[in-house]
Amino acid sequence: MNIELSDEAEEYGRQARRALGSAGGDRLAQQAEADPHARGALVDPVFEALGAWELDPRAGSEELEAGAALCRSAGWWALAYPVAERLCRPRDLDVDGLVVIGPGPPAAPVGGLRMAWAAVSLDGWRAVCAASPLRGPVRKSGYVVGLEVGSFERGGQGDVALGLVLPCWTLLGMLDRAMSLTRAHIAAREQFGQPLAAFQGVQFQLTDAEVERLGFEALATHALWSIEAGRADAVDDALALRLAAIEAADTVFRVCHQLHGAIGFCDETTLSWVSRASVPLRRLPLNLAGTGAALTRRLGRRGLSGLFGPNDEPSPTLPALRPERR
Amino acid sequence: MAVPDRDLAEFRSTVGDWCRANVPKDWRRAQAGAPEEQFVAFQKAWFQELRQVGWAVPHWPAEWGGGMSVAEQIVLYQELAANDAPRLVLAFVAIHHAASTLLVAGTDEQRRCHLPAILDGELWVQGFSEPDAGSDLASLRTTGRREGDVFVVNGQKLWSSGAAHADWCLLLVRTDPGAPKREGISYFLMDMRTPGIDVRPIRNANGESHFCEMFLDDVVIPVSGLVGPEHGGWRVAQETLSAERGMTMLELSERLGRAGFTWLLEACRVRGPSGDRLLDDPVVADRLAAFEIEVAGLRSLCRRVVERHEAGASAPAEASIAKLLYSELLQRVMDFATEVVGLEAHTQLTKPLSSGWESGAWMLDYIGSYEWTIPGGTSEIQRTIIGERGLGLPREPAAR
Ligand SMILES: Cc1cc2nc3c(=O)[nH]c(=O)nc-3n(C[C@H](O)[C@H](O)[C@H](O)COP(=O)(O)OP(=O)(O)OC[C@H]3O[C@@H](n4cnc5c(N)ncnc54)[C@H](O)[C@@H]3O)c2cc1C
Repeated sequence: MNIELSDEAEEYGRQARRALGSAGGDRLAQQAEADPHARGALVDPVFEALGAWELDPRAGSEELEAGAALCRSAGWWALAYPVAERLCRPRDLDVDGLVVIGPGPPAAPVGGLRMAWAAVSLDGWRAVCAASPLRGPVRKSGYVVGLEVGSFERGGQGDVALGLVLPCWTLLGMLDRAMSLTRAHIAAREQFGQPLAAFQGVQFQLTDAEVERLGFEALATHALWSIEAGRADAVDDALALRLAAIEAADTVFRVCHQLHGAIGFCDETTLSWVSRASVPLRRLPLNLAGTGAALTRRLGRRGLSGLFGPNDEPSPTLPALRPERR
Repeated sequence: MAVPDRDLAEFRSTVGDWCRANVPKDWRRAQAGAPEEQFVAFQKAWFQELRQVGWAVPHWPAEWGGGMSVAEQIVLYQELAANDAPRLVLAFVAIHHAASTLLVAGTDEQRRCHLPAILDGELWVQGFSEPDAGSDLASLRTTGRREGDVFVVNGQKLWSSGAAHADWCLLLVRTDPGAPKREGISYFLMDMRTPGIDVRPIRNANGESHFCEMFLDDVVIPVSGLVGPEHGGWRVAQETLSAERGMTMLELSERLGRAGFTWLLEACRVRGPSGDRLLDDPVVADRLAAFEIEVAGLRSLCRRVVERHEAGASAPAEASIAKLLYSELLQRVMDFATEVVGLEAHTQLTKPLSSGWESGAWMLDYIGSYEWTIPGGTSEIQRTIIGERGLGLPREPAAR
């Protein structure tokens, strides 16, 4: 059992971050906002060069981890592109990507791309769907559009955990970035004759945020391992990750905004872009309360098995959730 | 000045009736995404409607057109909120900051010149913050050089909300560069039509541009524009800031209680496609109950702050406690609203101008609520004040 990303995956992630940086970095999100329908064309060549869409996270741990690392790098640049969702593409359907949908009206941040999508519900019902057109300015909608969903069929059990976990890796990249930006900001900005970073009240807030980020990171690798190992409770681990991710994001963005002061709300700062980009990922497919409720329903009184827990064996009542390959 | 309950009840129904007859029915739709000029015209017209019935500046002294007891003010704010009346956002600085500065520290002539003008629609902006002077306001660098009967002012102000529409500016300027930081600052009333003022809007995360930058290039301000003594502006500014923290909270807390929180409850009462109501979910009900308790606490705290302020018996950190509690509670309520209202919260893309911090466009309200823990002294600065002045803890070593 290994709950670190492999060196190869880490290296792939670094390459992706560099490549996206050379292709425009933070400007990519700005250009996408100015012309939302061109957002695909903006990054296609980079992903092409990275061989991103040849990755099949369902094919084994190497590709799964590389996919996670790629999502994290996309998050770093607040990339206005559904990288995780595309990586989750089921191989047995003629679609470009997959999104998990919650109990509410189906929606996902996939507007403005001419693509076909699959949607999977938390209990593994799957349908092909089409994204509605973008409505209103994307700086407000975050590219979220409603989905017109076709008829649901069984068969998506193997999609749920993956579909929940990879977008969390994107969000993790955004948190990495927000922390890094804020660290730099408080080191550089002086008030009262010293850097903000010298005030313990400032330090403690950033450290609290860092603790949240690290907890999220640990769970993200755990949930990934859970999928790799084909564990019965991969979906539970994915939901637990999502819960931690939303909580961490709330703390991290609140602290980062607070420590930036007024400037953090202006588009001159990268934080403003990153925090805006994080919102759809935090709200969809399930918000904090919804994720908690879904997890509670699944677990009942059993509890998560964790790494060395008493429930480490696949539970007899649930089918194994190993990704299906047909 | 206790007002009998019977009279308050009567006043409440008077305000309620008036609102039902006079609050424009479709103002939210009309103000959603409205162009700037339309917003300004609407705000000015609404101000005059309230003024005619004597409710635009209830917190001012009677001789200047106010004179309501705190209890009556609360009733007024509650009814305006409950009837979803537009807020006086454009005149906010004029009726609160400018007025309290003039009342506390202005000359008779300044009061006579500006208080009636504010009632006639004069708009104000607060020009305090600068690029390098945020929390450490006293380190401001805009300079004012005295030349006989005038000061010649040069520098840059930042985050001046509403500067684009303002007629006058409350301005802090360093007039004695040789003195210790807080002793070399003067407080001015600056006519925004004076040559040399360049105002540029800044777009914020919500896509609105109420923030502005102001560049001041050899702007001439007559000595008669001084508020308080020359070089004695820091003390005047402290009084204005504490007014911002205290008095404005009364209205804002009633808005949160009677408008924002009430709408959230309504949203939770609506039956979803499957017939369920969010309210029937025990987790949601529990959170709502916890918020209700906090909102109730906030409302009574704000009332106490204002009453004690009027009686001249303010406790040193009370206003800071109210500001801290309000702004952090607002964030949590908006966060929760975005949570439970779900996708709808994402699809509401235009926030009606003229509404409060909570407009019912939850997603935008949520992003917007992050701002409130910054102005008028950040949460950290409020905590420092509560620690040092409220609890008597030692001063932060480096914060001088
Ligand atoms: C919505 C909004 C409206 C505004 N309107 C106006 C206006 O009309 N006129 C005007 O003049 N200004 C206005 N401002 C500016 C506001 O007053 C400043 O933003 C505020 O004083 C903070 O300054 P700053 O943004 O430079 O943050 P900074 O001072 O750089 O602070 C950044 C972070 O460091 C923390 N920090 C700073 N010092 C300490 C310390 N000693 N101990 C612990 N933590 C510390 C802060 O609390 C904050 O979290 C507005 C701001 C906002 C957000």
